[in-house]
Amino acid sequence: MVPMENYLALSGILFALGVYGVLARRNAILVLMSVELMLNAVSLNFVTFAAYLDPDRILGAIFAVFVITVAAAEVGLALAIVIRLYRVRQTANVDEADILKW
Amino acid sequence: MATEVLWWIFAVAVVATSAGVVFSGSVIHSAIFLILSLAGVGVMYVFLTVEFLALVQFLIYGGAVTVLILLALMLTRLGSPGRPERLTSGQAPFAFLVGGGLAAILVGVAFATDWRENIPDSPINMPLQLISERLFEDFSVAFLLAAALLLVAMVGAIILARQEEGE
Amino acid sequence: MGAEQAWLLAAVPAGMFIVLALLGRYLPRGGDYLGVLAIGTSFVLFFFVLADYLDFYDLEAGQTAITRVINWSQVGSFDIDFGIYVDQITIVMLAVVTTVALMVNIFSIGYMKDEPRYWWFFALLQLFAASMLTLVMSDNLLLLLISWELVGVCSFLLIGFYWEKRSATEAAKKAFVTTRVGDVGLMTGIILLYREAGTFNIQHILEMAEAGEFNETYLFVALSFIFMGAMGKSAQVPFHVWLPDAMEGPTPVSALIHAATMVVAGVYLVARLLPAYEVADNTLIIITIVGLTTALLSGFIAIVQTDIKKVLAYSTVGQLGFMFVALGSGNTTAAMFHLMTHAFFKALLFLGSGSVIHATHHHQEMTDMGGLWRKMPITGTTFFIGSLALAGLPPLAGFWSKDEILHAADEHWGLWALSLLSFAAIVTAFYTTRLFIRTFMGKPNNPEIYEHTHESNGFMTIPLVVLAVLAVTSGFVIFREVGEAIGFPGGFSEFVFLHEPHHYEIDWTLAATSFVLSFVGIYLGAYIYWGGRLTLSTRAAEFQPRIYEMLRSKFYFDELYQWAINNVVLGFSFVTSWFDRYVVNDTGVDGSAQITGYTGSVLKYIQTGRVPNYAMAIALGVVLLAVAGLAVRG
Repeated sequence: MVPMENYLALSGILFALGVYGVLARRNAILVLMSVELMLNAVSLNFVTFAAYLDPDRILGAIFAVFVITVAAAEVGLALAIVIRLYRVRQTANVDEADILKW
Repeated sequence: MATEVLWWIFAVAVVATSAGVVFSGSVIHSAIFLILSLAGVGVMYVFLTVEFLALVQFLIYGGAVTVLILLALMLTRLGSPGRPERLTSGQAPFAFLVGGGLAAILVGVAFATDWRENIPDSPINMPLQLISERLFEDFSVAFLLAAALLLVAMVGAIILARQEEGE
Repeated sequence: MGAEQAWLLAAVPAGMFIVLALLGRYLPRGGDYLGVLAIGTSFVLFFFVLADYLDFYDLEAGQTAITRVINWSQVGSFDIDFGIYVDQITIVMLAVVTTVALMVNIFSIGYMKDEPRYWWFFALLQLFAASMLTLVMSDNLLLLLISWELVGVCSFLLIGFYWEKRSATEAAKKAFVTTRVGDVGLMTGIILLYREAGTFNIQHILEMAEAGEFNETYLFVALSFIFMGAMGKSAQVPFHVWLPDAMEGPTPVSALIHAATMVVAGVYLVARLLPAYEVADNTLIIITIVGLTTALLSGFIAIVQTDIKKVLAYSTVGQLGFMFVALGSGNTTAAMFHLMTHAFFKALLFLGSGSVIHATHHHQEMTDMGGLWRKMPITGTTFFIGSLALAGLPPLAGFWSKDEILHAADEHWGLWALSLLSFAAIVTAFYTTRLFIRTFMGKPNNPEIYEHTHESNGFMTIPLVVLAVLAVTSGFVIFREVGEAIGFPGGFSEFVFLHEPHHYEIDWTLAATSFVLSFVGIYLGAYIYWGGRLTLSTRAAEFQPRIYEMLRSKFYFDELYQWAINNVVLGFSFVTSWFDRYVVNDTGVDGSAQITGYTGSVLKYIQTGRVPNYAMAIALGVVLLAVAGLAVRG
């Protein structure tokens, strides 16, 4: 009873919120959380399409499985990097890592 | 009918919690909101009749990812009080504009596009059987690669986060 | 060895040039005898060519020219054939060039004895001979142009032979630049002719012209340009300014190049192309006017010059003017005849003056001379003969050839041309007499110089004698009997002609007139300058000091040209150099580099190093693309 567009709109809003978070948050971990949001939105989108348009092959759901897998791996690695960064610079703010500038 | 109302409740919840993630003033609050948001998306999966995916979502995201995030927060001493730091950077207004624009575009496109005619009203049931068939028959290589990826990521993370002697 | 091998006449000196240029400085005596040997060989070979040619010559059968062609290169449809063309005009030129060159080479052994770079001088003489001979033998305008430029180069090198002297280098530059200006015309004319004719071959062009295949105005323009080149090389007004300065070179050079051979290249060229000039007959009046102006102008300048070489230089300019008048009157015979006789007696006069200069240890001013005949009898006598020939006194060679020119001018143009030319002839005789008397006769003006003067050695005097003999006898070839006696089909006028041979008959009225003219000139000169009546000329100079100054300053041509160069040429070059420096370099080259650098220095601030900024850029880009995509889609 829920039309497909609703899901799509929902995932769109989630994605946009994630983008805002990536651009506007200073702490690296917060950025990472926003990236998770974006990934979720994308997965939701794929599964929606699979459910409504491609029920025989449900490629979207499969894709979502892999997205979740890779996202988990990525979070682990990213956090390792953040910890590293914190040890070296005593800060986890992304806008303070600007040595490679003009 | 009930499905619809329920859907709407959860949809609003998801949006609200996600907004909480990006707009919150405290890091721990953002983390909590993230857990709730991810859970909400998991419920969405249930509505889309892929319960398996919902389960996976709860397990992985709610179990592993958020724990990792909280751990990192602890390690970088950001959760503790006495550290009043600005969390939102200077380019927030522009980010707001960009995000808002993106939202407008995506939502607009979603509603304005001419999808094909015979879209079902509600999602078609997708049995677990189908998922396992796809996963292990058609995409088995990808499946195995994903497993390898996880191994590599784990090793990499350990190397990266290791404390050297005298550090 | 026949006329087809005539190219050897040029090849031998050319080869000797290479030998002398490379080895000359190591050879004993600088290889001067090798130089004489080479030219002598050409001289001897000429007689073989002549014999073969006379054998072949058959006017009725239309056999008047021997050719030999080599295909040089073929680029697409552009064929370059180099070849030789030996006809009557060529024969005359070959005779003149080889004879005078040989005499000059022998003379130089005596004259240049203690000069620096002795061996190089002889090398250059060889190169010049080779180039000049090629010029007169070439059958196409391209080869002619190449050798034309080569003789110009030799002239430059030889004028500037004493390059330690600033004036010599300046003179060499002046000669080259002035003739270059004329050469622009020459090249333009050649290109114009080639464009219409499709060939450089002279005979083909002449045939086309006579058949009327050229547009008349086009032909007029092209030939006028070619005449401009001839004016430059033959020092006609207003291109005459280089020849007097060219006297900075060693005197044998003046004799060879600037009297007998190179400067007549212009005359030769016009004579060669005269059939075409006749078709575009408006050119003839131009040629005649130029010749007349030059003859008169140079004569006036010559009468106030005190440097003996300068007098002879201006005399040469004037006599070339006479030759052009003959050509302008459509008479090849008279022009070539005068070219030949003039070559002999002018070379004689120059070499004679060289003998004087050498004997007086490099003094050239008449004010330092006087009474030298007693000390230098051979030089004096031969110089006397040469002077009389130049003045046109019968029965010397100059009389016959000058008479022919007067006749031609009268026939074609009428009384006005004849009168002007006659006046020029009187002036010629006048300054020639003045020159001879002040140098060789009367009391010595500078006793010290007079003391040390002595007759020159054999190397110098023998050529003088030979040339003197020629100056006396070469006029007689105009007569049919004389011509036939030496194997020609008749007199000069039956051998060299424009359309038809014509039998020479003495026009007694005209002959008498020219005799009177030369006599008047000589008498005036003698009257004023002999017996010390110099005061008459000084009084004349003081009477009209402005005119005297004008003559002394050579009609201010040099000043005018220098002004033009300073203001026009240098002014223009100032403008172009400003443009080059400030527009092309500073704005264009430096400017574009600076703009790039400046833009970079401004744009570098985009690289803030902060990832959020970059992420923003990406996101912004995506949004913009999406908007654009939607807009395009409608």
